[in-house]
Amino acid sequence: MATRETTPGAILPPPRMTTGKVGWIRNNLFSSPSNGATTIIVAALTLYLLWLFVDWAFGTADWSVIPTLGGTLVLGQYNSDSVCPSNDCFWRPQASLLIAMTYFGILWAVAATTLVRGVALTTAFVAAAMALLPLPFDEMGMDVRLLLVANIPAVFLGRWLGRNTPVGSTRNLIIIAFVGFITVYFLLRGIEGVPGLYPVPSRFWGGLMLNILLAAGGITASLPIGIMLALGRRSNLPVVKMLCIGFIEFFRGVPLITLLFMSQTLVPLAFPRDFPLDEVTRAGIVITMFSAAYMAENIRGGLQALHRGQTEAARALGLPPWNTTTFITLPQALRNVVPAIVGQYISLYKDTTLVFIIGMLDILHMGSSFIGSNREFLPHSRELFLFIALVFWVFNYGMSYVSRRVERNLGVGER
Amino acid sequence: MTNGDASDNGVEDIIIARDVHKWFGSFHALRGVSTTVKRAEKVVILGPSGSGKSTFIRTINRLEEHQRGEIIVDGITLSNDVRNIDAIRREVGMVFQQFNLFPHLTVKDNITLAPMKVRHIPRAEAEDTAMGLLERVGIPEQAEKYPAELSGGQQQRVAIARALAMQPRIMLFDEPTSALDPEMIKDVLDVMTELAQSGMTMLIVTHEVGFAREVADRVIMFDEGMIAEEAPPNEFFINPKSDRAKLFLSQILH
Amino acid sequence: MADQPRGILTYQGIPVWRHAVLIQWALQIISAIAVVTLVVWFFSNVAFAINDRDIPFGWNFFGRSYGTPVPEHALPFNDSTDSYAYALLVAAVNTIILAVAGVILAIIVGTLIGIARLSPNWLLSRLSLVYVEFFRNVPLLVQLLFIFYFILVLPPITETYNLFDVLYINNAGIAMPQPTLSSGIAPGLGWVAAAGAGVFLGYTVYKLRNRREIVTGAVSYPLLTGIGTAVGIAAVAWVAIWAMAGDTPLGLSIPAPDDRFGRIEDGLRVRSGAIVMLVGLVMYTAAFIAEIVRAGIQSVSRGQTEAALAVGLKPVGVLRNVTFPQALRVIIPPLISQCLNLTKNSSLAPAVGFADLTNVGITMTQTAPAINIFLVIMLAYLAMSLAWSAVGNFYNWRTRIVGT
Repeated sequence: MATRETTPGAILPPPRMTTGKVGWIRNNLFSSPSNGATTIIVAALTLYLLWLFVDWAFGTADWSVIPTLGGTLVLGQYNSDSVCPSNDCFWRPQASLLIAMTYFGILWAVAATTLVRGVALTTAFVAAAMALLPLPFDEMGMDVRLLLVANIPAVFLGRWLGRNTPVGSTRNLIIIAFVGFITVYFLLRGIEGVPGLYPVPSRFWGGLMLNILLAAGGITASLPIGIMLALGRRSNLPVVKMLCIGFIEFFRGVPLITLLFMSQTLVPLAFPRDFPLDEVTRAGIVITMFSAAYMAENIRGGLQALHRGQTEAARALGLPPWNTTTFITLPQALRNVVPAIVGQYISLYKDTTLVFIIGMLDILHMGSSFIGSNREFLPHSRELFLFIALVFWVFNYGMSYVSRRVERNLGVGER
Repeated sequence: MTNGDASDNGVEDIIIARDVHKWFGSFHALRGVSTTVKRAEKVVILGPSGSGKSTFIRTINRLEEHQRGEIIVDGITLSNDVRNIDAIRREVGMVFQQFNLFPHLTVKDNITLAPMKVRHIPRAEAEDTAMGLLERVGIPEQAEKYPAELSGGQQQRVAIARALAMQPRIMLFDEPTSALDPEMIKDVLDVMTELAQSGMTMLIVTHEVGFAREVADRVIMFDEGMIAEEAPPNEFFINPKSDRAKLFLSQILH
Repeated sequence: MADQPRGILTYQGIPVWRHAVLIQWALQIISAIAVVTLVVWFFSNVAFAINDRDIPFGWNFFGRSYGTPVPEHALPFNDSTDSYAYALLVAAVNTIILAVAGVILAIIVGTLIGIARLSPNWLLSRLSLVYVEFFRNVPLLVQLLFIFYFILVLPPITETYNLFDVLYINNAGIAMPQPTLSSGIAPGLGWVAAAGAGVFLGYTVYKLRNRREIVTGAVSYPLLTGIGTAVGIAAVAWVAIWAMAGDTPLGLSIPAPDDRFGRIEDGLRVRSGAIVMLVGLVMYTAAFIAEIVRAGIQSVSRGQTEAALAVGLKPVGVLRNVTFPQALRVIIPPLISQCLNLTKNSSLAPAVGFADLTNVGITMTQTAPAINIFLVIMLAYLAMSLAWSAVGNFYNWRTRIVGT
């Protein structure tokens, strides 16, 4: 009784209205009257806001505030006349960056994951791209630019080292990281009497460099501390467990800013007056501890989500508890919480801006003190802070983008 | 209580499908399916996975939208008219492979939710009906439990009771026993057999050949989005006409 | 182990260094001693340094009068007579008000954006994605400073933006109309009481009708009649009191510029610091809440929606009876932790000059011992954190799914 309009069984292309550009627009923008109305209203609103923004950004806005600040946004007063009289200290942070890049290269060769490769290459190329900034040469000399470009060879040098020399073993990586941090510390702080290493006290470390230094220290140290806290909290030793719970809940329960204040008022009292624990290090330790407490909770979540069978199988095979943890449960748990760990790294990097409130010379301090002392730039503070926002956004969005790619590759999100 | 002949629109052909087409993106999933189901008829749909059999029964209550052709259920044409879609969904009950019980509601609340919200039936009456249905599917003692506390077979029987509570004229079964342990399958098939004997119109996607032989009035075999063969069960299982059906039967009957 | 020598270093026939229970105990005791030593060392050093270096310390300052203004104060505050302790309380109330207002608004904005993320409309869903990706990847402090300078660059009070003579926006903040008890306390409070009773009655009507609808199945529009009852009673009371007292029960204080001093008088005047904090916290936290809401709704499997449609529920009913109750279970725990984060993030107020607990505390350190003040502040924040955790635990306890 059915009237056949088509040959039964023929493979036909879908109706024109459901595929292709037209079909896509119909399905996603005008699938129903209410959907169509939404599209029109939202589009109108978006275009209006976009127009307002473009009109401001290319019309009234004056972006000259950013080149005027120039290097001080990046290094703070590190290379200024009062801190480094001969103005030749700029190469030291740059050399530190090269060391970090070489290390990233080694990691890339060893870990061979999208995450590490993405981080290594992106950082190197972004740093190198800075060399092309259209600043006059008396503000950003050829030497500075060349050192920036050198980041690309540095990353590949590291990769070569990682592949062809034994630096890539876990033990060597830890040793190199340790040596690297100490080298960078003395490179930045300088050594009295050594030519070219004019001492720069840590309170003059500033600008984006300070944010990155605090973040780098925190990122390196908060993961192992977080793992220990997480394991401690799951331990069956009541004393250890209580201590870890107390630590985690205390650091998660109070705002970071109050901890930072305590690090500047209470903590120094516990040490002798001449103890070499400067403000920057203290702030770094507090930020790391704060982040480690959150990290511990993320990792604990990963451990809890693991099936009991994993531990039981490992124990049944005769693996001692410590090996069960390091080779069976922890790797799986960490892999499952990669997105949470990266999220915590992003938080940590964002939190480094809080040192501004306790008077350190980070990028926000450089920006707002400049506006404060040059009132003619006050109307253009929006441009400056939008720029600073973008600096953080690029880094953080990049990290979360790469971590989502990793998540997809590992199939973590499919469970 | 849920007999199809209790009241009707006087239509003998309760489901009419004419040249139904469905695409997923550019994949042609249903390629011109035409068939008619009579009132109180039991139709078993067989076919290899990916042949479009589930997609077809899901178009009948608009869980999937067909893009060409015509579907008429109990005299109501399935179109973009929301009123028609609502009306058809009230007429058609459905049982899923994965049960899809609502985990946050008790068994009884799972069954009474739709009658109370959609048909505005008083609670006492809805609960009476629910208890009656639970007795009919053999698990009245589980009424106050939550789905997660039940075995798979019990969950599926609750799902059947939930669908029956709306007093549908047609029941669709989408592989109702595929997710069950072997010893639970029989309980569910027993309920379905009893339902078939009560005169319900049923469309059943299943791999249970024994059940098909016993209950079905007609077997439809799907392949590659088309109806490959359509015949009474005895004819189909003993003397299939198409090569495709012969191959398929040799695979499932061992 | 029969050949094992029995001696002093064995317990139950096992050498102590191999005895599972003893090893555990030894580890515990060692770690406890290590921590106790560390803590004692730390605080004895601190105590010694406080004496040795003449660091101010002590709790006497609490009762002294503070003598410094607190710019925003919801509680009455007299800076020449009120004490440090009371000033801290005033500041804590400011923090709580900011946190509660922020949480409410952030949940509303975040939920809307989260639902928009799942909209079938591509443009809307992309736009909310852009919002989320921008706001959660930029440090909150940068956002706060951006808004702070944005407001700072607005015209001064003398050239204030003026919307219909009721709303004034300038670089000092916002001034808006505010209801007042200008026509006397009795009529005002009387109307508020009547309106409150109306809301209660309306809610009762809603409950009763809802129950009757469930029992009898008759459609009676419980929500509409409930709201109608509440609004009706409030309106009747308004007219009645107006007729009796000869004046409206509540007055309206409308802000107006005072031309002589270049100030704005009357109305509700919110200083820029509070606006910066509220707007910044809400926009930032909403981005996180949007992701939580999206993930929660997506966590409800497609089969649930299909089953609900198949039994005949309409799309709104599916959302209300099936999707939402299940999504809520996934949403609430991370949502609570966002509320906690917002509360803690309100401590960034010193950067923009809002008088919250941290900001007042920092100001106090110039005239009182810093260590004591920060100890008190940390305890206050810990208490607020515990309060949020309690809310979360209560919810978890209320809504366990049986059997899972």
